[in-house]
Amino acid sequence: MATTRPATARLTDLLDPKFMARLDSLDLLSRKIVQGKLQGERRSKRRGQSVEFADHRPYVAGDDLRFVDWNVYGRLEQLFLKLFLEEQDLTVHLLVDASASMSMGEPAKGLFAKRLAAALGYVSLVNNNRLTISLFGDGLRVQLPNMRGRNYLRQMAEMLLTAECDGLSDFEKACRDAATSRIGCGVTIVVSDFLFKQGYETALRRLIGAKYDLYVIQILSPQEIAPELAGDLKLLDIEDADAAEITISPALIKYYKRNLAAYCDELRDFCTNRGAVYMQANSADSIESLVLNYLRRIHLLR
Amino acid sequence: MEFLTPLVGLYAAAAAVPLLLLLYFLKLKRQEAIVSSTLLWKRAVRDLQVNAPFQKLRRNLLLLLQLLALGMILFALAGPVLALRRGPGQRYVLLIDRSASMNATDVKPTRLDVARKQAKACIESMRAGSALSWRDQSDHAMVIAFDQRASVVCSFTSDKRQLMTRIDAIEAGDGSSRMAEAVTVARAFAQPSGGEGVAAAAAKPAQLVLFSDGQINDLEGIVIGDNEIVFHRIGESQDNVGITAMNARRSYEQPQEIEVFTSLANFGSEPVTRDVQLSVGGNVHAVRSVTLPGCRAQAGDEPFRPGEATLQFSLTHSEAGVVEVRQLGADALGCDDAAWSILDPPKRLSVLLVTQGNPVLESALRACPIERLDPCTPAGFDALDPAGFAVRQQYDVVVLDNHVPARLPPCMYLVFGAPPSGLDVNSPQELENQLIVDWRSQHPVLQYVNLTNLFAAKTHRLLLPRDAEVLAEFNESPALALLRRHGSTYLIAGFDILQSNWPFEPSFVLFCYNALSFLGAQAGNEQRHKLAVGDPIAIEDGLNQAAFMVICPDGTEVQVKPDPSGDVRFPGTYRVGVYTAKTPDGSPHFYAVNLLTPEESRIEPRDRIEFAGVAVAAQEQGVQQANVPMWPLLVLAALVFVCAEWLAYNLRIRI
Repeated sequence: MATTRPATARLTDLLDPKFMARLDSLDLLSRKIVQGKLQGERRSKRRGQSVEFADHRPYVAGDDLRFVDWNVYGRLEQLFLKLFLEEQDLTVHLLVDASASMSMGEPAKGLFAKRLAAALGYVSLVNNNRLTISLFGDGLRVQLPNMRGRNYLRQMAEMLLTAECDGLSDFEKACRDAATSRIGCGVTIVVSDFLFKQGYETALRRLIGAKYDLYVIQILSPQEIAPELAGDLKLLDIEDADAAEITISPALIKYYKRNLAAYCDELRDFCTNRGAVYMQANSADSIESLVLNYLRRIHLLR
Repeated sequence: MEFLTPLVGLYAAAAAVPLLLLLYFLKLKRQEAIVSSTLLWKRAVRDLQVNAPFQKLRRNLLLLLQLLALGMILFALAGPVLALRRGPGQRYVLLIDRSASMNATDVKPTRLDVARKQAKACIESMRAGSALSWRDQSDHAMVIAFDQRASVVCSFTSDKRQLMTRIDAIEAGDGSSRMAEAVTVARAFAQPSGGEGVAAAAAKPAQLVLFSDGQINDLEGIVIGDNEIVFHRIGESQDNVGITAMNARRSYEQPQEIEVFTSLANFGSEPVTRDVQLSVGGNVHAVRSVTLPGCRAQAGDEPFRPGEATLQFSLTHSEAGVVEVRQLGADALGCDDAAWSILDPPKRLSVLLVTQGNPVLESALRACPIERLDPCTPAGFDALDPAGFAVRQQYDVVVLDNHVPARLPPCMYLVFGAPPSGLDVNSPQELENQLIVDWRSQHPVLQYVNLTNLFAAKTHRLLLPRDAEVLAEFNESPALALLRRHGSTYLIAGFDILQSNWPFEPSFVLFCYNALSFLGAQAGNEQRHKLAVGDPIAIEDGLNQAAFMVICPDGTEVQVKPDPSGDVRFPGTYRVGVYTAKTPDGSPHFYAVNLLTPEESRIEPRDRIEFAGVAVAAQEQGVQQANVPMWPLLVLAALVFVCAEWLAYNLRIRI
């Protein structure tokens, strides 16, 4: 407890203690029954030595005789093997965008993303899942790999609080690195605004695989959803200083909103078609309701 | 490098540069705002453009505007001219008055400069020949500048640059204005000179364009056709005070005494008071104030009369010098504010009387105030040194009484009887019983001389050359004639006085007095040193073969070489002032060139000038641009199109 106290104290900067108390009752859920490394609290698809019966299969030479179902042999005089579901631990990968664009918005998207990551990380650690948190900008910037147990809460909180949102974003490179460093199976959650000029498709494709569930959480600020700009403007991109000269008109706002909606829909369709789960969040929303309601609704948490 | 129309360039720059800057600042005014990503905004702008109405047209609009701007510039480069005149090429003769009155400064800088400017505007509006046109429709022009004589500044050409350069080269003069010669020259040049194009152009007579103040002296003698001449009036004011007469002469009896007569005229309508300064050799002797009444304008039959005043100065000056009378008030015309006269040192005449014996003549001559009278026989005269130096050095006047000498040394001659040979004067026969029918009583020789009763029993019939001046006439022959040849002056009476009743007439003594006085004045070169503008300076001693250096009033020096006969002539007395002629060794000769013409001092510009029977009114406006060069408009249009294109482009970004 001596080690966790300051961690929780630090973690309270991100999460409300009451909220954390409610998170204690939650666990991460994988839609795929995943194969973990250690024998954990989760059913694995790999049949093994477990108490939970899964199936029978005919005996073939070389099988372990210990698993032969002698009762069935007695009745049918045929050798069948009993198969069990093995309970294993769940690997959770949190990929949090820390590029400069996340620092925008009121409230800031970056802070929202960190709080969300903290909440998900908290749930993972509390439930003894294997947690890897990565912050990415133009590539993976900081990574805390393979944390397990409450002891890591302090480390996670420190990392999230100290990281700054700045620099360019290279989502593709970040995903490539994350995908190669990923081992085992579990859940990958990407938290970002997904406003990548070079596109997100290739990058997300790298993360989608048989072993991992992919959750895509897009965070947009209220200013991005409903811009409150006016007049003749020269818009500067905070990341690459790209300029766009515009004159705000109702027509332009209309087209912007339409484009934003289309962009989000594209992202959603891309995810859905590939078995990933997409969710959009507004940085002005309450993190509690998001985690407690929406994430449960999409069966990320239970 | 030359700019034909620098003002247009300036105007365009004044319009375009601020506009460009304005647009530039408009562009700069865009506020900057930082967003997380421009990705969606750019898509939105693109969508907006794509979905904006008339998108295709808009894209074409930019191209169209660019093409139009380029087209305008290219069109301007081709130098189109909007021809307000049509038909075949016109021909113009520009007559530019450069007489003294055109030096008036009532219009700045001077009337001549304004005339030049207007003439150039006229040239500018001529249609230029184009390489692309298949017919020569270009206008041709020639330029004639005139004062008392006309000079062709530039003959017919369509080269505007040449015409303008030549117009700029017209020099101001102080002469009087006479236009007849200019009109004659213009008509002569305007005659078709053969050649197809020229002949076609000459079907229409050349248009004369006159730039003048209208003060032209010989208008009554010029016959012009209807609409043959277009008159552009130059000048505004008539206020001017000028010296209209001036003479300085030594008293015949008292040679040290000098009388200076001068009369001034005020051509303005208001009375003015002016100071008149008399100076001799640069030293001021007297300044007098004189009030001149205003002029009396022409009304009905009453002619124009300037307000006049006469001044007389007396001074004692026993040496040679230059007398200057100057009115000190400033006015529009400067060249009539001063007049000069050359004084020779006082001298009494020495007279040589060549006679077989004529007591009447001798006693009459002796009665005159002369230094000495040397009688001499004809043989003695012919025996004098052949070069004639003795005669010229010793005697001012030679009186020939019935003697025809073998040679005539340069001198002043009073001839009675047979005229000398070698003067183009013939006397084919003798006439008898001749009575005087007419004489010029105004001439200085015949002042106070009454010839009514003069009767000659025998006289030579004189056949005179055209330049001789006849002073008195018998009923069949000239009686008295004045003739100048080779620097000598001959006063010829074609009869022997002993064959007439003249010696018994009181007029004879008076005549002798006047004749000696006149010839003496001629001998003193008083008249010869007094020139009007344009009169040549002539040094006719026929002896000195050295070149003369003539120093003009403005300080320029001109070397003048004598002609084969030894005479020196310098015709370039175009400005008033004192000219100095110098031989390298000899003493300087002074020549006073004066304006002294009231016609030129009267600078009032005329609204209409009356030729013989035809009145021409001055043009209401100045020179009209007949051909408008279109390139400034085109460049302006190109500018407008470029601006429109810029605007269209920006609107495309914005909407």
